[in-house]
Amino acid sequence: MDGSSLLEQYLERCDGQDDISTSPQLFTPMSPYDVDFPIQTTEDVLFGSQFNQPKELPTDFSSVDLSFLPDITQENKAQNLFEDGHEMQKELDGSTSNEDSSILTDESILAYPDATQATPEASGGCPPLTPIAPMTPVTPASESSGIVPQLQNIVSTVNLACKLDLKNIALRARNAEYNPKRFAAVIMRIREPRTTALIFSSGKMVCTGAKSEEQSRLAARKYARVVQKLGFPAKFLDFKIQNMVGSCDVMFPIRLEGLVLTHQQFSSYEPELFPGLIYRMVKPRIVLLIFVSGKVVLTGAKERSEIYEAFESIYPILKGFKKAS
Amino acid sequence: SLRDTVPRGDCETVCPNTPCFSEVAYSQSTGQKEQLSRCLQRGIRRVQDLCKVLQLPTVFEETAVSYVQRALQHPSFHLVSLEKKELLGGCCVFVTCRQHNWPLTMGTICSLLYAKQELFASVYLSLQKELELSVPALSLADLVKTHLNSFRLFQHAADIPAPFVENKEKVVARTMQIVELASETWLVTGRHPVPIVTAAAFLSWQSLQPATRLACTLARFCKLARVDLPPPAHLRLKELLEILLRMASQLAWLRVFNLDKKTVVKHIGDLLQHRIFLLKSAFCPEDEEEQQCAAAPGEASPGSAAGAVQGGGCPSAGKRRPLLPPCLVNPRKRLRTAAPSASDSAVTGEEPISDGEIEQYLRGPEEIRAFRKAQACAAAPSTLPTPCLATCCI
Repeated sequence: MDGSSLLEQYLERCDGQDDISTSPQLFTPMSPYDVDFPIQTTEDVLFGSQFNQPKELPTDFSSVDLSFLPDITQENKAQNLFEDGHEMQKELDGSTSNEDSSILTDESILAYPDATQATPEASGGCPPLTPIAPMTPVTPASESSGIVPQLQNIVSTVNLACKLDLKNIALRARNAEYNPKRFAAVIMRIREPRTTALIFSSGKMVCTGAKSEEQSRLAARKYARVVQKLGFPAKFLDFKIQNMVGSCDVMFPIRLEGLVLTHQQFSSYEPELFPGLIYRMVKPRIVLLIFVSGKVVLTGAKERSEIYEAFESIYPILKGFKKAS
Repeated sequence: SLRDTVPRGDCETVCPNTPCFSEVAYSQSTGQKEQLSRCLQRGIRRVQDLCKVLQLPTVFEETAVSYVQRALQHPSFHLVSLEKKELLGGCCVFVTCRQHNWPLTMGTICSLLYAKQELFASVYLSLQKELELSVPALSLADLVKTHLNSFRLFQHAADIPAPFVENKEKVVARTMQIVELASETWLVTGRHPVPIVTAAAFLSWQSLQPATRLACTLARFCKLARVDLPPPAHLRLKELLEILLRMASQLAWLRVFNLDKKTVVKHIGDLLQHRIFLLKSAFCPEDEEEQQCAAAPGEASPGSAAGAVQGGGCPSAGKRRPLLPPCLVNPRKRLRTAAPSASDSAVTGEEPISDGEIEQYLRGPEEIRAFRKAQACAAAPSTLPTPCLATCCI
């Protein structure tokens, strides 16, 4: 599995999400503490909305999903971040001064929210400590799963913006299937990227089966071209990824009966109906299917970062079960 | 008469002589039923009936009725088909039972409602999601007691051979132990619960008097006991026996017997008595390497089993395998989807698309003509003369 490049892509995406950070360099402690990582949400919740975050924080924490909180306490976490960041400061020589090292105390982490928001231009020296920039996950190495979910299916929609004669399309296209009595759309398939499209007479189209967002877009464009070549004035409007499905394997068996006990509000485990446990994660809004074999399916994402985030949230919970059993 | 049912008191004082209202039934005038829609009334009635049939405590009915009210008021249930609304009452009763750890299976509720299990399942899952209900998992211990209640082997009857009748408490106790054993050895997670209880009950009953009962099959047992034999029960029985055999291989005085699936039943009592120790010695923890596993129990020599896969290192103790769910021990061969290749990852989505690539998906004019003819033939074969069929159907 080409895990590292996928992870890099994900991390680059997170970098791009930073509104405040203007620094293109990755290894800088000046990038502010608002990267979109799971640990982030914990910090948000606990440090309160004094942070000037680009995202909205829930003021009512009762609905916040804290189910992914790992075993270590908040202080430990802050310490770890501090330690890691401290190493970073040492490596980037030159900019640290004696004054700045006085900032590098435990209190600084916890006092950070009270301080004015650090900006890259702040007072010459390094701003108060921030976690390591996105090249490695914010969570300390022992916590990050090292497993990257693989995308299995992308569902996207696009508007061809013209009325279509489905019977005509089914007659003149080789790769089309049309049974109006069964379903009111043409089912079309192409070989590369290997996908299926549902084309409706309104001009709307659904594209399924691709393994990446880009492949889904390319496939949708090819279907649009087929429709164009059949003589319709097809456009390519409002292309949108509607759903992404990923899967992975934690490599150990899971006691689903136990998981449903401790995470009742999020879990549905009905062996009479389905062998897996259905876990409805609140943040991000992802549904996970967890099986006794340790295989996990994640679905409901609009962006791949949600899949990765959801898995990183669930992994410590599942690992906790491994030790308990 | 109606006069008797109409509340008079106040109204007569206000307008003593002229009738200020027409006489109506009490229930209509108080609007008791007016406020409830017909669906809700039906739902409540269904709940009440089910609670009566299942002999549930009164508090269950109140809870279930409140769920039905909440559900029908929820926007996502307004437009649901009548067929589904019919099942709402049953779903609410089911949820209530589970929340009170009252062992009611979906199978039972479905048969009481004459409902298709898929439909019931979808209504149940929607209900759980929309009302944000937390439903605890089915308690197997309670299920054992309830399920065994329906077995007909605890009292003498004309069609049951005398040696087959057994003491109920003994069967229940031993079945519980076997079900617990199944749960500890990963045979329960993700599986239908009832077949496990059936298989466990069979083994427990057999082991209490093996001499006369070993010859009886699972199918015959269920027939005599007047219970259904669910298809997975045979597989559960097979898995249980395998676990028991592994445990037996760790008991010194049993090793000499060379037990098999039949004879091990005679010793279930002993095996259950020492099950904690036997499980530990028969199976190594899930994450241990197979090499360590191959070392005989009691020996601390991971190195000695180097190169030996399962069981190579121990002479008589029998192979130790990791304690894993059956789906991991015997993985079904599956086509693994290939990981995205480098070229796959390089796709941008904006690549140029060649005409040639698109044209391969389009029919040429000849092909369209032939296809049209074939369609016409397929549509009305009797109206066309036979030579046409021969030429146009490729």
